[in-house]
Amino acid sequence: MTIHPNRSFSAFALPLVLVAALVLTLGLAARPALAASPAEQFVADNVQRAMGILNNTQLAKEQRKTEFRDFLLGLTDIRAIGQYTLGQYRRGASPDELAAFDATFKEYAMAVYQSYFAKYTGQTLQVTGSYALGGEETIVKTVVVDPKKPSPKPLEVNFRVQNNGGKFVVVDFSVEGVWIRELERNDFTSYLGQNGGDLKALVAVLKRKTAQYR
Amino acid sequence: MHKLVFLAAAGLFLAGCATPSQNASPGAIENNDPYENTNRAIFEFNLKVDSLALKPTAESYSTYVPEGVRDALRNLEENLDRPVVLANDLLQGEGRRAGQSAGRFLLNSTFGLAGLFDVASRVGIASHDEDFGQTLAVWGVGEGPYLVLPLLGPSNPRDAAGSAVDVALDPTVYISIKHHTFWIIGRQYMRIVDARARNLELLADIERDSLDFYATTRSLYRQHRASEIRNGKPPPEQQNGATNLP
Repeated sequence: MTIHPNRSFSAFALPLVLVAALVLTLGLAARPALAASPAEQFVADNVQRAMGILNNTQLAKEQRKTEFRDFLLGLTDIRAIGQYTLGQYRRGASPDELAAFDATFKEYAMAVYQSYFAKYTGQTLQVTGSYALGGEETIVKTVVVDPKKPSPKPLEVNFRVQNNGGKFVVVDFSVEGVWIRELERNDFTSYLGQNGGDLKALVAVLKRKTAQYR
Repeated sequence: MHKLVFLAAAGLFLAGCATPSQNASPGAIENNDPYENTNRAIFEFNLKVDSLALKPTAESYSTYVPEGVRDALRNLEENLDRPVVLANDLLQGEGRRAGQSAGRFLLNSTFGLAGLFDVASRVGIASHDEDFGQTLAVWGVGEGPYLVLPLLGPSNPRDAAGSAVDVALDPTVYISIKHHTFWIIGRQYMRIVDARARNLELLADIERDSLDFYATTRSLYRQHRASEIRNGKPPPEQQNGATNLP
């Protein structure tokens, strides 16, 4: 028995064409056209600037670190994030203890966040949308796009942005649904729980952790 | 089916031996962790197993197996997983996502040569995960207390029961081939090694940065699961207004 070449081709091609047609109908939904809100624009612009600093090979490593640190500090309300992470232990603390914690947390957070963002060097964050919360706050949603190796499941990074009378600040960010402020609060309050709520012990351990980055 | 039996046994074991800790931390209720002492002990055991067996295997896998081969194996596994994801998409009434899962499965099984190549992503059909634990959550079943399962890691009764149902939903479990059990266990093993290999650096960083790795892992698991269940939609408390500082 001989197989007619055309017939064997069509026997193979027809199911593939059908599959392709079905896939296009099922899987490709129209993407909504987005007009960037001011909060989205703020995130898009600053992500661009952040990547610009991280990718600037003309700067020495130390210079790049300092520049990125200043940039992050101007962008985030680091004190509010720090206070949030203390949970119920904030109430019992003295003003001096809180001031020491604020200063230490700032250095710890800068070191840790910088190491997180440095992982995205060479990649871009694409703003995909946003939704408003009450109290002048907006969640801006982004995905990490690696131009060299597109992923079937791009990493989702979201920013919680607060509008302070026209000036935007980032008060929290999340990776794959995990918010950093909440994560740190769980970590710190658990540590404080085991150490009798001793804020000095927390400050000491945060200083040790920060020193690992130097 | 072995995983199912194991999970059921693990569940019974935990129900039998884990009583709420007498000296549970003040955050036990907030963290939904009444069995914290038992969970911490199992977490330590899992970390030992990880450092002795899983991590070294994952490191070798990522060093000696070329990236292209690892990608192809991951694509294959992702494709074999689509029927379970599709079933859960449908059970949750997520028509559009069900379309994506069906589309990915059809496209990658044919043009993608049985799933070795991810053609669907190239034409813009993104992948997503769905499991029966999430379906139960969508149906209104509560998570129950946080549990750390031996070898399997962070979970809760809902997600553990969900994993067992996912095994039952998987059509490949019912294919009768020679050495059937060997293939099922081999596939689960590959999945675990690959996931560990992809997260080597991430997990090392999290352990380095955290003061209490157990508490951080618990928060990671609970936040990530809650976000997966919502499929990226805002949480209900955020839809009604901002959550402010305490």
